[in-house]
This record gives sequence, structure tokens and C-alpha cells, in this order.
Amino acid sequence: MSGSAMTIGSREHSAAGLGVYPVVRRNSLLIIAATLAVAAYLAYVFVAFDVAGLIAKAQPMRATLLATDAVAHKVHVTKFFRGDTQTVVAVEGERTATYATPPDWVRIADNTTAVDLGGGYRVEIKDRQLVMETPDFGPIRATVTGRGVVTQLPEGQSAPEWLRATAAKFDARPTIGRRVQMSRTRVEVHRYFGGWENFFFPFRSELTAYSPMEILRLAFSPERLQADTPNWKLIGHTFWTNPDWQHGHVFIALLETFLMAILGTATAGLVGLPLAVLAASNFTPSQILRLAVRRLFDLLRGIDMLIWSLIFIRSFGLGPLTGALAIAFTDTGSLGKLFSEALEGVNKQQMEGVRATGANRWQFYRFGVIPQIIPVFISQCLYYLESNVRSATIIGALGAGGIGLMLVETMNTQRDWENTLYLIVLTIGLVMVMDTLSGKLRRRLIQGR
Amino acid sequence: MIVNELSKHFGTVTAVDAVSFRIEAPQMVGVIGPSGAGKSTMLRMINRLTEASQGSIRVNGRDILHLKGKEKRRWQRDCAMIFQQFNLVPRLDVVTNVLLGRLNGHSTLKSLFSIFGKSLVEEALAALDRLGIADQALQRAETLSGGQQQRVAIARALMQKPKMVLADEPIASLDPLSAEKVMTSLREIRTRDKLTVICNLHTLDTARTYCDRIIGMHKGRIVFDAAPAKLTPDVVRDIYGADHALDESVTSTSIGERSAGADPVASDVKMAS
Amino acid sequence: MTADTIQLEIIAMEKRRKLYSTIGILLMIAVLASGYGLASSMNSGSFLNGLEKFFDYPGEIVREAWEAGSGFFALVLQFLPALIETLNIAGAATLVGGAAAVVLAFLGSSNLGVKPPVIISVVRRIMDSMRAFPELIIALFLIFILGSSPVPAMIAVAFHTAGALGKLFSEVNENADAAPIEGLESCGANWLQRMRYGVLPQVLPNFLSYFMLRFEINVRASAILGFVGAGGIGTELRRTIGWGRGAGDETAALFFLLILSIFAIDQLSSFMRQRLVSGKAGS
Ligand SMILES: Nc1ncnc2c1ncn2[C@@H]1O[C@H](COP(=O)(O)OP(=O)(O)O)[C@@H](O)[C@H]1O
Ligand SMILES: [Mg+2]
Repeated sequence: MSGSAMTIGSREHSAAGLGVYPVVRRNSLLIIAATLAVAAYLAYVFVAFDVAGLIAKAQPMRATLLATDAVAHKVHVTKFFRGDTQTVVAVEGERTATYATPPDWVRIADNTTAVDLGGGYRVEIKDRQLVMETPDFGPIRATVTGRGVVTQLPEGQSAPEWLRATAAKFDARPTIGRRVQMSRTRVEVHRYFGGWENFFFPFRSELTAYSPMEILRLAFSPERLQADTPNWKLIGHTFWTNPDWQHGHVFIALLETFLMAILGTATAGLVGLPLAVLAASNFTPSQILRLAVRRLFDLLRGIDMLIWSLIFIRSFGLGPLTGALAIAFTDTGSLGKLFSEALEGVNKQQMEGVRATGANRWQFYRFGVIPQIIPVFISQCLYYLESNVRSATIIGALGAGGIGLMLVETMNTQRDWENTLYLIVLTIGLVMVMDTLSGKLRRRLIQGR
Repeated sequence: MIVNELSKHFGTVTAVDAVSFRIEAPQMVGVIGPSGAGKSTMLRMINRLTEASQGSIRVNGRDILHLKGKEKRRWQRDCAMIFQQFNLVPRLDVVTNVLLGRLNGHSTLKSLFSIFGKSLVEEALAALDRLGIADQALQRAETLSGGQQQRVAIARALMQKPKMVLADEPIASLDPLSAEKVMTSLREIRTRDKLTVICNLHTLDTARTYCDRIIGMHKGRIVFDAAPAKLTPDVVRDIYGADHALDESVTSTSIGERSAGADPVASDVKMAS
Repeated sequence: MTADTIQLEIIAMEKRRKLYSTIGILLMIAVLASGYGLASSMNSGSFLNGLEKFFDYPGEIVREAWEAGSGFFALVLQFLPALIETLNIAGAATLVGGAAAVVLAFLGSSNLGVKPPVIISVVRRIMDSMRAFPELIIALFLIFILGSSPVPAMIAVAFHTAGALGKLFSEVNENADAAPIEGLESCGANWLQRMRYGVLPQVLPNFLSYFMLRFEINVRASAILGFVGAGGIGTELRRTIGWGRGAGDETAALFFLLILSIFAIDQLSSFMRQRLVSGKAGS
């Protein structure tokens, strides 16, 4: 942007200023052109990715359902028409969470089941017919006949938008938290309640009945619930092995992810540093060696974590070792490069001062070099550790295991969103804790010790 | 312009203490005083860079201390300010720096894309030409000497089409030759454009040479306000709070007037401001 | 410091420090060794077995690629669109996230006169939480709602980028010289104009340098997210690897493309960053 079109030697304003306006205009045209280029590229990408079509096909309902399901749980009331026709009431329809005596909003008498969904919504199931009552709509009847499910609306009314009735299935969802389904074989009524059900102890456990304070008191009480184990052990074990939430497995998965990140980063740092010395021009006279090490760094980084993970999954199987090695290989390249740049920037005077004392090679590094390089070393390692906790979740999802894989699996089953949310919260928690810790350490390091 | 009981407190420090003065007709006012007297703070309050604690500044009947938003920015444009450290944008070329003087009144969208019309650019070049640096129009501001940069800053001030010009120690970081050029340019704004110029100065003889009126400040208060001729050694002692007579030639910026045997106290005064 | 005092210092410190550093290093090795022991025991395959097989897989795909002969290059060409898709995910995400980062950074810097000041701390919290969200989670969530497509990955990467770059940008902003900003304020320039001319010219080279670095990181992230269904080269890789034996040449072609492009971007970005930081850019 320096002056190109200036009339040299002239002090006349008209002459000196001659080329100025074109330059000012060119500058602004350049800025406009750059903005337009970015906009054009984004437009191209939006067309290439078919964003419009995607939005049209998006299922925002899924997001609502997912959000509801993630913070609430539902209780299923199921009645089968064939075989055992008994009405079953179970949390999330799980066999292991079946009520022995139904809750008070479900009444079962002979062959009639009455379900009170609250807010004026009621369902009565008798034989093969159900009657659904809503506050602002007359009673709806659905009957299973030889031709399938027959739905009868109140006289003169057309079907509401929350009802889908075909011969195969009757599906009414007047509100997010209430749903009635009927097929040829069964009726299923869902009622939603807020909160995560049975988070601490499984449904069947005797501990479910106690309040948190009582649990605390029990833990220290000498009166044993089970003769052969102390209470605190029983409580811990019941929590740890809770089949719905699998706290134990989740913890192990988190540990695996954490291990991947910390082992990978530590290895990369410890291997990268000596290699960096070989790549730094002021420590390694041999140009061939230097170039070779630098290319090695480029190669390690260039192959990328994705490919390293795939290779290691093949040879080492699933698990934290695989993830740790993938991180270690990639980041040896990244950290090695950074360290070698830092080494090339070290202060010569301090090094010379140490050399002048007749220090041997070990002392030379120990006192002339290490003190200068250690802050860079630690702060970069911490920085990479932070980002590697995130990377480790992704590598895990590729198949290396840990919390990432667990997350993909629970998400793929698309059933228990509360479990998914639990995993998400834990993962973000882990990332945030690591971020905060490493941020604190780095700040302390920079501000001097 | 009527300044009435203007004060500024920074915590427990009173930087400017109930200052009052008025300027009726265009004139060149020199503000002198030791370092920390509150000269900069006073100018910054007039330009609204620093919020005043008390008092009022009436211009054409309006108290400009109560202006907000657009009107405040319009006032800032009307009273151009020149700084000791120039406060240019170092990475931009000179002509753009001058054009920035007209940002107020230029549409935000246009300014985001650096769109300036031909007539604006010509105005900027005319301003640069008046200060004798039109040849450097396309150089980056940071490549210029201090004196040239200060002249770019004055050109930017002219570009604002101001109603008055404030200058906070405009020559404190310049060599004597550049200082003279800058002071002459400021004086020209007073004589040719018939504008009021208020100029903080750290040298007495500069104030004497260029100003129509001198205001002396000490610990936030105005202790002297009259024509330069009335500035007797006693008054100077009052202003600078020094028990010693000041050797004025030491604090001079004009060439050839520097005496070698500088009085230590006097040079302290100069260094510190 | 003279040579003598250094000599004395060395002798005094050496005895003490030698012991400490030996203990420190031994401790670190012990932690690493036990960590690897633990990791190895948690792994489904064992370390020693794996070591033997380490070169099997790369060997296998290289052999298959070799056998494919000139067909290999046809494969490379065939997968070019997938690579472009991955690059587009990264490019669009870096641009969109970078733009958001600029906005966040200007609102979240304490020295730019943002009013009311509560905005600054709120924006900082927002940036922190955006940074904490792993891309994987956002991508999986959006894939569930929007279906398999590059857009979820783009949004996920952009979201994270906005937080990460925003923080770096605001650190750059906070080191900016206040004089030009004040100069513009005294001219009556409004806030946007002050940012545009008082701050942007100062910080732009650093912004661009961080931007390039982030683009490189995002290309890697986009490739990986493809593996969970976000399209591009990662999705192709999952397909060819899922087939098991026989698709080695395709896998090799994909690896080749990915390595080549990351290598190129890496070199380009470090070259450009060096130029930018050595101070050759205006605005
Ligand atoms: N931003 C500020 N915060 C706190 N104190 C300030 C600030 N600016 C100026 N001061 C104080 O106000 C007094 C006057 O300062 P200043 O106006 O710069 O004096 P001068 O320009 O005459 O040297 C000084 O004591 C200075 O320390
Ligand atoms: Mg001052």
C-alpha cells in the first residue's frame, strides 16, 4: 500500500495528489472484493451442502422430543390382548422396573384398566376397546376388530391434529407428556414425569424408598440392611451397578478418555523435546539430521490423528492405549515443531555464560537451556492436554472406546436420551475441569513462580 | 465558551479543581503548569474524552458536558484534539489517517469498507498540502518522523472542520525544528481560520511567542489568566511552585536559544512535564 | 552475572537439584509406565501383540494400492469430491466461526469501551462454554435432528471455532495500543468506526495468523467428524474400512488424499503465518 503513483519532486498539491484518489479507491475496492469473495464462497458451500433442502427435511419435533425425554422419564401402562392379558405398569417400559402394585393414577379391576393422565385426560381400557377423554374434546373410542383398529370420534367432530388413526395403529399425543397408542396386539399409555428416574438406585432396590438424608444416616448406621455387608458398601455397590445408569461403566469410560489424553500428551511432550533438540539449528550442526527430524515431525502431524487412530485400532484393538498412541504420534510432531522453534529462539547470552564456566554438556543443558525452555514446554503441553481431552472423545467415537464411543452408542439406540444427556454433561464437565485446571496452571507459570 | 467550576476527581486525587474561565472571541490560549497540574485532564474534559465530576461548559448556551450519543460525538468533531503522541493509526497510510477526521458524519457502512469519495480525498490532500506533507500522502503513518506525524494529526484536525482546536503538549516529543513548524501551523489555525486554539505547553517562551493569552495552572487550580506580557517571574514561581527563579532559556524550544549551563531544577520541570 | 558466580551457583544448586530432578523424572516415568500399564490392561488387544501387527495394516493397504497400479490414481480422482467436501466443511466453518469470533472478541475485550461492561463478562462466559463443547457432541446431536449431511459438522466445528478463536482474538485485542482508539474517539467516531480503524489495523495480522492455524485444525476435525456420519472424506473412510479386506486400495487412496492435503495446508499456513507475524500486512 505504499505510494506507487506519486509525482516525484513536485510540491504542487494538484500534482502530488494526482495518484492518491485511485489508490484510496483501489483499497476500498479490494476490501469490498474480499468481502464479496467470502460471501460468494459461503453461498457456494450452502448450495453444495443443500442447506435449504436440509432445513426443509429437518425434524424439529425430534429435538423437542429429545429435549423432553432427556429431562423427563415416562411410565408405561401396557395391556396386551393376547397371551397374558394382565396390565403392566413399568418405568420406561423396562422389565426390571415394573411396579408390583400400580401407582394410584392407574386402577386395575377385573378386565378394566383406568389410567388418569392428569389435567382432565383419562383413558379407560376394557376388553379390546379404549375410551380416551380429554378436557376440550369429546370421548374418542378405539376398538380392535377383525379389520384392525377402528377409531370413533365424537358425533360431528373431525380428527384433531394430535391424533393419527389408521387401521394398523391408533396414536394420540394431545400433549408432549401424554401419549396413547393402540395396535392389534396391545394398548400402551405413556405418562411423563420430570426428572431422571432411579438415578441413584435401581427401581427394585430397597434403597430407592429412602430419602437422601436417610441414606446418609444409613451409611453410618451399624444396623445392617444386609447381614453380610456394611451399609456404606451396599449403598456404594448398588449405586455403582445401577443397571439403568451404569455409573460404574460411565466412570471407567471417562477414565479411559482421560487416560488417552494425559498419556498421549505426556508421551508426545517427553519424546518431542529431545527430538526438538535434534531439529533446532543452534543445537544440531548436522543439516541432514535436522532436516530428517523436521520431516519426521511433518509426517507425524500430516498423517493426522484420524489415520493414526485407524491404524492403531487395527493393531491394538479398542481401548485407551490405542487412543493414547494416536494422540502421542500426532502431537509428537506438533509439539516437537513448537519446541524446536522455541529452542531456536533461546537467549544466547545465558547459554554462553554457562558454557564459560566450563560446564559439561549435561550442566550446559541443565542450566543454560532448560530454564529457558521449561515455561514454553509446560504451557504448550497443558494447552495440548486441554484440546486432547476433546480429541480423545472423538477418537473414542471412531472406535477407540471411552466416553466418546459410549456416547455414539447411546445416541444410536435413540431411546434413553436421559442417559445421553448424562454422558454429555459428564463429558463437558471433564473438558471444563481440565480447561480450568490447565488455565490456572498456565497463568501461574506465566506470572512467574 | 464559558467554563464554570469545572472539577475532576480521580478517587481521592483532585486533578482539576473548580476551574472557571471564558473565551469570547477566537484566540490562542496557552495553558502552562507543572506536570500533574491537571492541564491534560482539563482539555480531555472539554473534548469529552474524560467525564467531568462537576461544573459546566457552555458553548452557545448549551452545556456540552450533558451531550450524549450522536450529539456528544458531533461536539467531539467540533473541537478537534491533538495529542502529544499524535494518536494516529500507525499501519494506515497518511491520507486515510486524515480522512478519518471526517468519520463523524460519514455513514458507518461506508466507513467499514473504507469508501471515501473523491471530494473528501481532495479535501484531505488540501489539508496535507497546507501542512507541507502532501508528498507523503500514501506512506504509512508509522514511517514518518515525529514532526511529520504531528502535522498529519493537525491535518486530520483540519479535516474535522472544527470550531475550536485543543492541543495537549503537541510539541513535547518533537525536535526544535519540527516543534516550530507545528506551532506555526497551530498559530495559522488561529489567524487564518479564525478559530480558538487551546494549547497545553511545557515551555514558557513558546507560550509567550505564540499565544494571545496564558492560563497558568497549579494543583488543579487556575492561578494565572492574562496576556503573556503579565507573566512576571513572580507569577512563574507561583505556577511552578519553585522557589528558584526559572531560567527561561532552558525551557525554550526555539533553536539557538539553548544555554549549556542548565539549572537542574528548571530542567527537572521540563523533563517531568 | 560473572562466570564465577555462575560456577558457585551451579555447585550449590547441583547437589540439591540433581536429587530433586532425579526424583521428579523417576516419578514421571513411574506415572507414565503405570498409566500405560493401566491403559494396556483396559485395551482389548495387548501391546506386544499389537506391536507385531503394527505394520500389517499399513503394509496391507500399500500392497493393495500397489497392485491396483494406475487404477490407484483413478481412485484418487474419484475421491476428490469427498476431499473437497471436507475442505468445504472446514472452510465454511472457519469463516462463519471466525466471523462470530470477531464479534465476540470485540464485545468481550475489556479495553474497547464496551457499554455496559456487564456485556464483557457475559460474552466471555459464552466464549468459554462454546469452547468447552466438544465438536463430537454437537455434530451427533445435529445429525440426529438434521440427518446425515455435512451441515451438522460445519455447525459443530463453527461453534467450537467461534469460542476458541474468540478467546485468542480478545487476548490480541487487549494488547492493542489505546492511542489510535483515543485519537478516533476525539474525532467523534462511533464505536464501530473506532473498532474498524483504531483496533482492526493493529490486530488483523495476528487475527489472520490464528485464523490460518484454526483452518488447519478444522480440516482435521472435519475429516474425523465424517466418521460419525458428517460426510466428506471421513464417511468414505468408514465405508471402505467397514468393508474389511479388499478395499485396501480405496483406503490407501483416501489416506493419500488426506495426508497430502493436510501436509499442503500445514506448510501453507506456517508459511503465511511467518509472513504475517513478521509484519508485512496492512489493511
Ligand atoms: N486516568 C487517571 N486515573 C487516575 N489519576 C489520573 C488519571 N489521569 C490523571 N490523573 C491524575 O490527575 C492529575 C492531573 O494529571 P494531568 O491532567 O495529566 O496533569 P498534566 O497534564 O498537567 O501533567 C495527576 O495527579 C494525575 O496523576
Ligand atoms: Mg499532561
